This record gives sequence, structure tokens and C-alpha cells, in this order.
Amino acid sequence: MDIRAIDVSATMGRSGLHRAAPVTKLAAFALVLGAVVTQMNALVVLALLLALAALAVGSGLRLRLVFGLAAYPGLFAVVFAYAAAPDPVTGALFVCKAVTAALAAVTLVCTTPYPQVFAPIQRVVPEIVGDALLMTYRSVFLLAEKFDRLRTAVRLRSGLSARMPLRAARASASALGGLVLYALDLSQREYDIMRVRGYEGRLRVTLPRSASPAFDAALLAAAAALFALALTFRVAGAALTPYSWLPPAASLLALTAAVLWRLNRR
Amino acid sequence: MSHIHIPDGVLPVWLWAAGWLAALAVVYLAATVSKRSDVRRKVPLLGVVAALMLVSMSSEIVPLAYHVNLTVIAGVLLGPWLGIIAAFIVEVVLALLGHGGVTVIGLNTLVVGGEIVLGWAFFRLCVRMLGRTRVGWATGIATVLALAISTTALVGIVALAGGGAATGRETGALDPTNLTFANPFGAGVFSVNTLRGEGTVPAEAAKAPDGGLSVARFAAVVFTLGPIGWLLEALIQAATLGYVARVRPGLVFGGALSVRARTLPSHEAVR
Repeated sequence: MDIRAIDVSATMGRSGLHRAAPVTKLAAFALVLGAVVTQMNALVVLALLLALAALAVGSGLRLRLVFGLAAYPGLFAVVFAYAAAPDPVTGALFVCKAVTAALAAVTLVCTTPYPQVFAPIQRVVPEIVGDALLMTYRSVFLLAEKFDRLRTAVRLRSGLSARMPLRAARASASALGGLVLYALDLSQREYDIMRVRGYEGRLRVTLPRSASPAFDAALLAAAAALFALALTFRVAGAALTPYSWLPPAASLLALTAAVLWRLNRR
Repeated sequence: MSHIHIPDGVLPVWLWAAGWLAALAVVYLAATVSKRSDVRRKVPLLGVVAALMLVSMSSEIVPLAYHVNLTVIAGVLLGPWLGIIAAFIVEVVLALLGHGGVTVIGLNTLVVGGEIVLGWAFFRLCVRMLGRTRVGWATGIATVLALAISTTALVGIVALAGGGAATGRETGALDPTNLTFANPFGAGVFSVNTLRGEGTVPAEAAKAPDGGLSVARFAAVVFTLGPIGWLLEALIQAATLGYVARVRPGLVFGGALSVRARTLPSHEAVR
């Protein structure tokens, strides 16, 4: 998980998705998630996946980052599918659902700065939870950087070689212990800073308005259409099953168009 | 292995919805208890310990599909109430990064939060029995016990979700026609028809007994790969906490909040 790359993508991007209101994107994410949860037809779930991929490609997101992150839960889903699915097709459905839901989440966080993603959550959870949520994300960057430096130091000073596993393990444990101590010192420093700045138990995040209300409406309509499609196939599954190939075919066309558009822009 | 890596839409709605409700209730209770004193100091501490867990979870041991959780260390440093809140925060961030489903945040909070609470309790018990000089052993034992129990809870969740054929092919699907969670199509809308392009499901096929999540196979896989992960995690956490205990024992035996706050040079002036 390269959280720094996600943050750069969220804050530096200039696509329509980046300019959309965070609340709209969260609502669209909820609708897509609802579609994934509702649907049990693998081809329809595949259609959702391809539609999201088209959106990611068309928005100019870093594909290696987005698809790499979305594929990560697929790995665990494969293990779960192998362990628990009654047949291979159901297993494929599990993996497809995992990757689709992950792609929706990753598209959201790669186009929205994290305080704006957490702001609506912060308003419905207790103060200590909402504030700690914001502090966590900030601390992750600092700790990840420190962890990288510690690993480099351990490699240079002790040598993480397979020939001396005990020494390497001892050095790694010391590095992790050092990271724990650094983390606690960091929390103390943050506490000092918050006191000086007059923190009284609530970090406030303002949500920006949309730069393009028309795009927001289109995004919401597209997400609602995906949810409606999933619901329709769920309710009238028996009658619509022979036409299950239609949604993925349409999504594939959209993906092809997005790829061509992206290539032309270069 | 305790963290549930089950995709969205696989578990039945009643199960993950109940998980969300229970988790929110526990988190609200934990927040109420934690708010009683010194909230300002707890917020950054919670943030860094949750971040520490996230950083450790980002490194996966691929062949085992396992990653280190640092739950016992989190429990020792934060205590049980703040530990539960940390578990919730970690699960929310992980779900937003695509690692773990959004619908299973509640169940994951209960499982990982339970692991933190158990780890904290077992660690204190082991320290009392073994003495303060054997922090490594105490951490190792606490880690293995906490992980074994939480992994069993994970298998229990899967058993609740799909042990029977009724939930097999309808896992996670709410039936919008009658707002129930029962399967209106019997077994097989998806797997019988989808790829073949056939019409309705034959009655015999609809009543096929197979189709539920294979709990026995899932348990076999989890309890085969799991112990390797438990041991690795126990070694890592034991060595790490052992190091911390040597350098700053107060953090380990009293928790991170037991260390007195620094006084700012200008504190008096600010007041």
C-alpha cells in the first residue's frame, strides 16, 4: 500500500472526478457498493468492474497504482474462494466482487484528499474517533517514511542476510521497537502542538463545493444506473439471465473508448 | 489471519449489518469511557498506534496471505477501550484503501478489537505469572492465544454465514421483492445459468444440496496456514515489545498514557 502515492494522486489530480464534490463521490461509491452487494451474477459484477475500470482510465488516474491496489484484496479473495467457495464459478464471483468493491474504494481515495473523505464520517462518529481518524492518516506518512529509513539503516549496519538469520532478526526487532518508540514520541509532539494551537476536542474539516455540478449529476446518475442494473438483474434474474452478456459487452465498449481517448490525449 | 479478508457481498446482510451495529455500539461505549479524562492526549496517541498497525499491515507474507497486525502491542500500549477504537479506525482506513470490504468493517472491528482486548488481558496475566523480566515470553504467549481465539471467531463467522445450502448462492443478497434475506430462486441463478445462457433453473437443480460456503474446508485452510502466521507474529511482537521493555519499561507495564505529559516551557504563560 503506497499511501504517499495515493495522496499525491488525490491532491494533484485535475480530472473531472477530482473536481467533483466529495459528498457526491461518497454517494456514488455507496451506490456501486450496493450494486456489488446485491448482485450474484458474475457477468453483471464483471460489467460493474469494467465500467469502473473505464472510469479510472478515462479520469487519467495512475493505472498501475489504482489497479495494483484494487488487485491486492483479490489475492485474499482467491484464498477465501479456494477455501470456502462451493464451486469454481462462485469462487470467481467472490474474487470479482472483491476487486470491484476495492476498485470503487480506490478510485474514491485516489481522487479525493483524505480529510474530505473522512469529514462526513467524522460527523457521525464520536469526536475522539473522528479526530483520531484524521490523525491516523497523517501519522501513517510519517511512520512509513521513518520505517523506510530504519530498514535502510538496518540493512547498512547489520546486514539483513540469510546467512545470519538470528542477527538479522534481532536487528529487525530492534528497528521495529525503535519505530514503536518513535511513534510514541511523535504522539507526544503532536499533543504538544495541538495544545499550543488550542485544540479542544474537535478537528474541523470543511467540505468544498463541486467545481462542476453537471459532472456531479452525471456521476451520480451513472452510479444510480449501475445500481438499478444490478437490482433489475437481481429481481428479474431468471428472465434476464440469457441476456447477462449484454452489460459486460457494453462496459467493455466503454473501456475501449476510454483507452482510445487516453491514448489520443498523449 | 484474524482480520477478515472476505469480499463485500459474500456474507449475508443480516450478519454484516449485525456486525456493524454491534461494532458501533462497542465503539460508542469505548469513546464514552475514553472521553472521561484527558481526551486531547489520547487523540494523537490513538492516531499513531493505529498508524503503526496500518504500516505493519501493509507488508504481506504472500505465500500465507498473512500480514502482521501488532494487535497485542496496540493493546499493551493503549489498553482495551482505546484499543477497540484503534481497531475501528484501522478497519475504516483499510476498507477505503480497498483492503477488506466496507460491509465487513463492523465484523472486522469486533474480531480485531477482541484480539486487542484479549492480547492486553493475556499479556497482563502472563506478566503476573512469569514476572517482568520475561516480557518476550509473555507477549509471545499472549499473541498466540489471542490470535487462536480470534481466528476461531473468524471461522465461526463463516459458519454463521454459509454453513447451510440456503445461503450458499445468495450470500449477501437482500431480496428487494419481499425485503427478506431468503433465496427466492433456490440454488443456482448464477452458477447454473449465467455462463451457459440457459433460462430457468430446473427444480431438481434448485434443490441441489450443495452450494453453501464450505466451512470445513475454510477451517482446514485457516487452521493450517494460521499457526505459521501466529508463530511469526508472536516472534515479531515478542522481540519488539521486549526491546521496548528494555528501553522504556514504563510504557509496557503501565501503558503509553502512564508516562507523565511533558510540560511546555510556556505553559504557565499560556494559562
